[in-house]
Amino acid sequence: MAVAVLADGLAKRFGAVEALRGLSFAARKGELVVLAGPNGAGKTTAVRIMTTNLKPDGGRAEVLGFDVVREYREVRKRIYYVPQDYGVYWDLTPSEYVVSVLMCRGFSHREARRRAREWLDALGLSQADRPLRQLSGGQVRRAIVAAALASEAEVLFLDEPTSGIDVEARREVWRALRERVRAGACIILTTHDMGEAEAVADKVVIVKEGRALYEGSPRDLVSKVPFAYRAVVRKPAPPALDHAVDLGDRLIVYFRSRSEFDGFVGGLEDPSQLLAAGSVGLEDAFILLLGGGAA
Amino acid sequence: MRAFWRVFGVAYAELLFWKRQWMWLAQSLMYLLGFAVIAIAWGGLAALKHIIVVSVIAGAWGIGLNVIGQMVGWHKLSKQYEFHVASPLSLAEYYAGVVLGQVPFLAADVAVPLAAALLLGVPPAPLLALSAIALAALALGSFLALAVVLRIRNPMNISAVTNPLYSLTTILPPVYYPMSALPQPLRLLALASPTTPLAELARLATGAAEACLDPAAALGLAAAWLLLSAVALKGALKWGLED
Repeated sequence: MAVAVLADGLAKRFGAVEALRGLSFAARKGELVVLAGPNGAGKTTAVRIMTTNLKPDGGRAEVLGFDVVREYREVRKRIYYVPQDYGVYWDLTPSEYVVSVLMCRGFSHREARRRAREWLDALGLSQADRPLRQLSGGQVRRAIVAAALASEAEVLFLDEPTSGIDVEARREVWRALRERVRAGACIILTTHDMGEAEAVADKVVIVKEGRALYEGSPRDLVSKVPFAYRAVVRKPAPPALDHAVDLGDRLIVYFRSRSEFDGFVGGLEDPSQLLAAGSVGLEDAFILLLGGGAA
Repeated sequence: MRAFWRVFGVAYAELLFWKRQWMWLAQSLMYLLGFAVIAIAWGGLAALKHIIVVSVIAGAWGIGLNVIGQMVGWHKLSKQYEFHVASPLSLAEYYAGVVLGQVPFLAADVAVPLAAALLLGVPPAPLLALSAIALAALALGSFLALAVVLRIRNPMNISAVTNPLYSLTTILPPVYYPMSALPQPLRLLALASPTTPLAELARLATGAAEACLDPAAALGLAAAWLLLSAVALKGALKWGLED
């Protein structure tokens, strides 16, 4: 598949703060790539550069083969961007909002209405005919995503599009995003929610201090962690724990093998101390790879 | 055709917003009515005619400086600006859409006083000139507002900037009162406000009151302000690719 988005050694500085220090990654058509990382890692700065809002100090970025600085007009025709903390006209209904957004991209009023109906219906908002200010946060986010999906842009940049959405509605958004990806679009999505990344991403790029720390499928990233199982246990902790994250009155404990896990559980004084158990997931990998807690 | 829809798309959201926030428009009309009553009470029909004529200019200036300034400021604050940058919309289309979105205000603040001026006996040709001056006032006001608003890195409360600017340029200088009412040294000071030559041009075009500036001086000053504000705006205006 052809490369849709390419970041090559992107660098950006804001005064004394070095936001990007050579960030590189690639995303292909028909791929959903999640940019993950702690706050201030440089995810939003990277997205702002790739959406032609910011000029990089160094490196280059391309969208569908067009340089984001030299050929920004071509890039803008082909992308859709939902910024983080994006504010809408709260007095508009979801339908009016989607129609206005589509008209801003050159669709006629009639065509914009048709598309708005189609995508609001797909995201379960066809009955929400009230101003956005009267809707739940989740419904507003879904209206924003509906507009993005209805735009027919080839590359979508969505900065935390599902924050504040309840679990059920989030799955509707995920389904719609995956359908769009299956139809050939490329989606770059930033999120703090590793469960979301695990569910929707073809590729995860972990960004730390302005660089890409890891780039690969969620499964690849999990496989980089030297643990296979995890357990959440109530304190007091058994002695001699090699890999545990302290959560105050409980611990997350990691194990290399099933036998190690079984041995640990069998050694607990009180079996009710074991609160949860399972395989290591992307969130664990994220925390462990960032060096944020494995003891 | 696509460009037309893009312009109208920007205006569409604004128009729906004003439709549901109609009290702002009612406020504009109440101001006009209030000023008209004050003028009649203190100066009769002659004062009324003057107030109506300069209201066209003050109204257009206010739309440019206050309404458009606040709208674009809100777009910056809400990231609508970034959203539009990353789209096929050009800067010229965006600006045209924002202006077009103020049609309800143009009706309340410009068209209503223009109609009132016609009823008060201002002939069509001077009214046409007045409309042209109003257009220049709108452009100048918006250029000046945007030159300030777009320089604010983290805009929090745009109206805290544009509202005082509006009062400073319409209530204080000789807009609602003739320039001749000011003593000579203050007339020179009044020229520091871009609304002074615009109001003088309106008085010259309609004969609604005595003007102190001659037509060439008023026109030259207005043109200079327009040029100056356009230059100030050019330095601030960035449609993406910010450093």
